[in-house]
Amino acid sequence: MTVERPDAAADVAASPLPNPRARWLRWVLTTLLALAALTAIFYDAFVNGDGLPYLYQRVQTFVTIFLGIFIEAAPFLLAGALVSGLIAVFVDQSAIDRYLPKAALPGALIGGVMGVAFPVCECGVVPVVRRLYEKGLPLSIGIAFLLAAPVVNPVVILSTYSAFGWGPIFVGRIVFSFLIAVVVGLIFSRAKPEEVLLPAVSQAHHDACCHVHDHDHHEHAPAPLGRRFAQAFALAGDDFLDMARYLIAGSMLAAAMQTLVPQSALLAVGQGPVISVAVLQALAFVLSVCSTVDAFLALAFAGAFTTGAVIAFLVFGPMVDIKSSLMFLGVFQRRAVAYLIVLPLVLSLLMGVWWNLNLGW
Amino acid sequence: MLQRPRFQIAAKALILLTLALFLYTRLADGTLFFYINQRFMAYTVLAIVGLVAVAISYRAATGSADGATHSHHAVTWGGLALVLLPVMLGVLVPPQPLGAAAIENRELAVSAQPHNVLPAAVRAAAQKDAIDRNLLDWFNAFSASSNAAQEFAGQPVDVIGFVYHDERLAADEVLVSRFIVSCCVADANVVTMVVRQPDAATLEDDAWVQVQGVLEPGEFNGAPLPVVAAQSITPMAMPDQPYLYP
Repeated sequence: MTVERPDAAADVAASPLPNPRARWLRWVLTTLLALAALTAIFYDAFVNGDGLPYLYQRVQTFVTIFLGIFIEAAPFLLAGALVSGLIAVFVDQSAIDRYLPKAALPGALIGGVMGVAFPVCECGVVPVVRRLYEKGLPLSIGIAFLLAAPVVNPVVILSTYSAFGWGPIFVGRIVFSFLIAVVVGLIFSRAKPEEVLLPAVSQAHHDACCHVHDHDHHEHAPAPLGRRFAQAFALAGDDFLDMARYLIAGSMLAAAMQTLVPQSALLAVGQGPVISVAVLQALAFVLSVCSTVDAFLALAFAGAFTTGAVIAFLVFGPMVDIKSSLMFLGVFQRRAVAYLIVLPLVLSLLMGVWWNLNLGW
Repeated sequence: MLQRPRFQIAAKALILLTLALFLYTRLADGTLFFYINQRFMAYTVLAIVGLVAVAISYRAATGSADGATHSHHAVTWGGLALVLLPVMLGVLVPPQPLGAAAIENRELAVSAQPHNVLPAAVRAAAQKDAIDRNLLDWFNAFSASSNAAQEFAGQPVDVIGFVYHDERLAADEVLVSRFIVSCCVADANVVTMVVRQPDAATLEDDAWVQVQGVLEPGEFNGAPLPVVAAQSITPMAMPDQPYLYP
């Protein structure tokens, strides 16, 4: 690798599985969750349904939804992985130092609007953010980018406009997605990268941001362009395979939820300025719908639910849902992932309730 | 053995090619449309091309002597199995679109509030002749009307959909429905019409039918709405594209 640090390579070679216990634990957890889902399907079939034919149909529905989410998301994940590979090979670490602010507030603000330049959805943004962290991107910029990019980008802005037109929901979605992403980015700017990022990512981040690294450029003569592209693509393949595991686990969970939990059970829970917001947030989390089309889905709830709830659905869903929160596990430590779920959840709940109480329906 | 670099690279390239091949078979036999909106087919094509390109470039990137490409993330057997899971499930369970079994978990939409449908969709539905409207057009037309049950009475209907028996229906009634998919089946919604015919009970769930008839006032779940008095219900093969796209 022309731009990877040689000592990082040595590290990886010395311990191919950094922190094997954490890795093992993660796999056990994933397997347990999958098993729990399967158990629930079996229970559902033999206690509530009429045995095998019913079970078979349920499994078929589950597989169809699972493959639906996966096939839909795979091209976008691959696109994200390719961008990540190209960044790895062609973007110089010093460019990040030079052009992006180091201070927390300007950093978070920049991160919040970076989606306009990198129109990636919630699947593609994760490998890009991981690669940028390995290039030494400050935490707050990356977090704000990660959370805001699925909404604050031209494609999603357009689809929201075509579903809702110019109005409170359109403006509210964009403004609050940006604000919440910036606030969470600011909160994370107080943390240390090694507490937040996975060890492998944080090691590369540390090497990139905190060492003198101009000798990098003189170590090798740059490889021929064709070969650098090949390297970028191979790195993209690694990224894709690594992230696909989380995408697949997340799609399975989301499909299981959709097969087992009736939408009516969620939607019947209620109205009211607070409950309605929480219900649509739960629905957004469970459905794991791509942010480019969730506006059309939200349209169906626009009459039955409070405006604050619909905006919370449109703000929270793209930031955090089952599949994206599993993908976060490929970049961040578990505790940081918990914060990444809870902070947007609480902030968008507060936003929705505030909207309902102060701006009416 | 799995940790040996050459084997790693071969395994990764093989997995990527397997995924590409899987997507290609689904594209080639048309079952891709059981999973996603037609509009997104181009992305699947791009993904196939991209996966093959990436798999091939593993060879080019590591072909020379230094073998410099290293991975932060060594592949494990568990990781391989998980990435191949979509292919395995896809091969083991024959592809089938969402049907009656999936309805049970969803809201049935026989009509909606006027502000819950796209005005453009309503206009498009209104411009079509009654006989040309599909289930989604009827749904949009009903939703835009404040008194659909009376307003549409007498209009001719010719729609296709699959059969579903709902507990709330009378014995001579059945639901004929289609799923609406905006992006992928995760966002699928159902649009449905109540169809009345004396021997409706004999129709099997999930059977695809063409319904011809006339609208008359009726009700579903306590709410008034137009129902189809069927003159004929003809069994038919599942259409190539089982879903409707908004």
